[in-house]
Amino acid sequence: MRSALVALFLLGALPAAADTAEAISDHVLPGYAEFARASTDLAGAAAQDCSAAPLKEPWNRAFDAWMGVAHLRLGPAEDGGRALAIAFWPDPKATGARQTAAMIAAADPALATPEGLAGASVAARGFYALERLLWGAPYGPGDYSCALVRGLAGDLAGLAEALAQDWGQPGSGGYADQLLSPGAEGNTRFLTPDESRQALFTQLITGLEFNADQRLGRPLGSFDKPRPERAEAIASGRSLRNVTLSVIALRDLARSLAGEHPATEAAFARAIALAQDLDDPVFAGVAEPASRLKVEILQQAIRAAQEAALAEVGGALGVGVGFNSADGD
Amino acid sequence: MRRRMFLAALAASGGMPLLSWADAGSPAFLAAAKEPSGGYALFGIGRSGAVLFRQPLPGRGHAATAHPTRPEAVAFARRPGTFALVLDCVTGASLARLTPPEGRQFNGHGAYSADGAVLYTSEVVAEGSEGRIGLWDAGRSYARIGEFASNGIGPHEIRRLPMSDMLVVANGGIQTDPLDRTPLNLDSMRPNLSYLSPEGVVEEVVELPDLAQNSIRHLALRSDGLVGFAMQWQGDLAEPVPLLGLHRRGEDPTLAWPADAEMFAMKGYAGSIAFAPGGQEVAITSPRGGRVQAFSPEGAPLWSVARGDVCGIGPAAGGDGFVITDGQGLVAGLAGGRIAPLAQAGLAWDNHLIAL
Repeated sequence: MRSALVALFLLGALPAAADTAEAISDHVLPGYAEFARASTDLAGAAAQDCSAAPLKEPWNRAFDAWMGVAHLRLGPAEDGGRALAIAFWPDPKATGARQTAAMIAAADPALATPEGLAGASVAARGFYALERLLWGAPYGPGDYSCALVRGLAGDLAGLAEALAQDWGQPGSGGYADQLLSPGAEGNTRFLTPDESRQALFTQLITGLEFNADQRLGRPLGSFDKPRPERAEAIASGRSLRNVTLSVIALRDLARSLAGEHPATEAAFARAIALAQDLDDPVFAGVAEPASRLKVEILQQAIRAAQEAALAEVGGALGVGVGFNSADGD
Repeated sequence: MRRRMFLAALAASGGMPLLSWADAGSPAFLAAAKEPSGGYALFGIGRSGAVLFRQPLPGRGHAATAHPTRPEAVAFARRPGTFALVLDCVTGASLARLTPPEGRQFNGHGAYSADGAVLYTSEVVAEGSEGRIGLWDAGRSYARIGEFASNGIGPHEIRRLPMSDMLVVANGGIQTDPLDRTPLNLDSMRPNLSYLSPEGVVEEVVELPDLAQNSIRHLALRSDGLVGFAMQWQGDLAEPVPLLGLHRRGEDPTLAWPADAEMFAMKGYAGSIAFAPGGQEVAITSPRGGRVQAFSPEGAPLWSVARGDVCGIGPAAGGDGFVITDGQGLVAGLAGGRIAPLAQAGLAWDNHLIAL
């Protein structure tokens, strides 16, 4: 950290402050606030009119906002499986689809409410349940699907609100304060500033890994057996958009946590440019050699960003991936 | 070695009483760690979490096992292991060094016979990962005295059933490259839990045919013989799977499924397992997920806590619940889902915390 600061000083640049506090104030909390706002808008729209067509736009805006924070798999997002309830993917056994079908068949009005859904399986909730309904079989205002859309949108807004509340603002006694006050009385989750940094750094690294291995790796499958049907959010056409938004959000997390580092910045810029230039919204091209290569190049670029961040951001923060978590035995 | 023989000679001549665990300055646990210098060592840890002794290791350690009567323990190298050190747990001094025979590799774990005369070590034939249990003369020189098949590929932890000389072995099922740890057979692996007589006769085998890619790796034993086994999922991480099983001889195994909200929290990986004193809770750790999940002995989820890079776990010494160690150097009590820090060392604690 010190050598990086000295280098910046010698170059005459004033380094922007970056550390756990900046990651929380500049990345985490604004991201959750935006997600809460967008999902409340979606719930409001669904309450007024549950028809599929007008809800697709607010659903997409809420999903865009979720991509700003979806990589933060710690604290409130982990409590009660909230991140799973918001976005249950990947789902190789199609558990979510089966549960949605079963709910429509059973048509239990008590279940189609935010309260009823709060007790339902995480696979039956969130963005993908809404996607199955909004992009699924047509329904009318009196159908059970309509009530279920309202309930799911309200449940999603409740989850988003709970995330924002449980993180809290600095000083409010929420999860943000646990990260900001390591070693404070009763704070056994984080005992030193390095543990807080490492927790956020881990989100950066695993977030990049998720984009490369899951969002791109699942549809890529193998060269002999590409699996385009395994891409994320195919019905709504968001597969590539999710990668693009997620990588941008992860770049912002890296910057707020450790400032700008040359190799990391360059690797992120390349990955983002490749994603923005790729004309393959649901990765259907993975089955054809020429278009498949473009998806593979994007995957390699995201892995390169992960390598650069491990070296530069990890080095600047003085943390790495865990001693035991990297062991595998 | 020299010291142990010296002590034995003294004892035999009546010049000095035989030492027991009570003389060991009461280390309650053993654990390997990486030191800030980059070196590795084995540590004796007291009930309060304080480090009582330190013995340098020639490479990264993994687990250890304690002699049933003498204050003596064997520390094993991380697999593929080339060494095991016998330690005096009073002083931390090294008494003997074990080297696997040509073409064999230690796999990180071992167990003593009930009378302490034989040390059993979990090993593989380097080429092909065929499992072997090595036998060593723990009564005298720690000389190699034999071996038998472990009844599977890639055995990992071996334990002895309480009040018995029956061995239980977690055959992880993974064939690895002899030079590193690259897995070679994830599509065809077949792990099992095998009960072996002290002569190596297979007495009972437990397999999970529907979860063949769930590598059975670590074991915890309750005083009544209930075996907890912790697993590492080698299949699609998007598939929810149980990582804890419970088995009693002659019965079907019970799989402990996590609560719905916790189903992916461990990232398909359990690194260590322990029963709490009294045996009413069994917990598994995941450094990858930064989680400890506890279950009832019937397999029902009880609670979970978050702690980054947590892996070592053992029963609390003279208290309730568990003691955990992690890669940040923390030694902490863990009861009822709450962490109570005991001590923090400038070390990265390695996979296992061995209760003495």
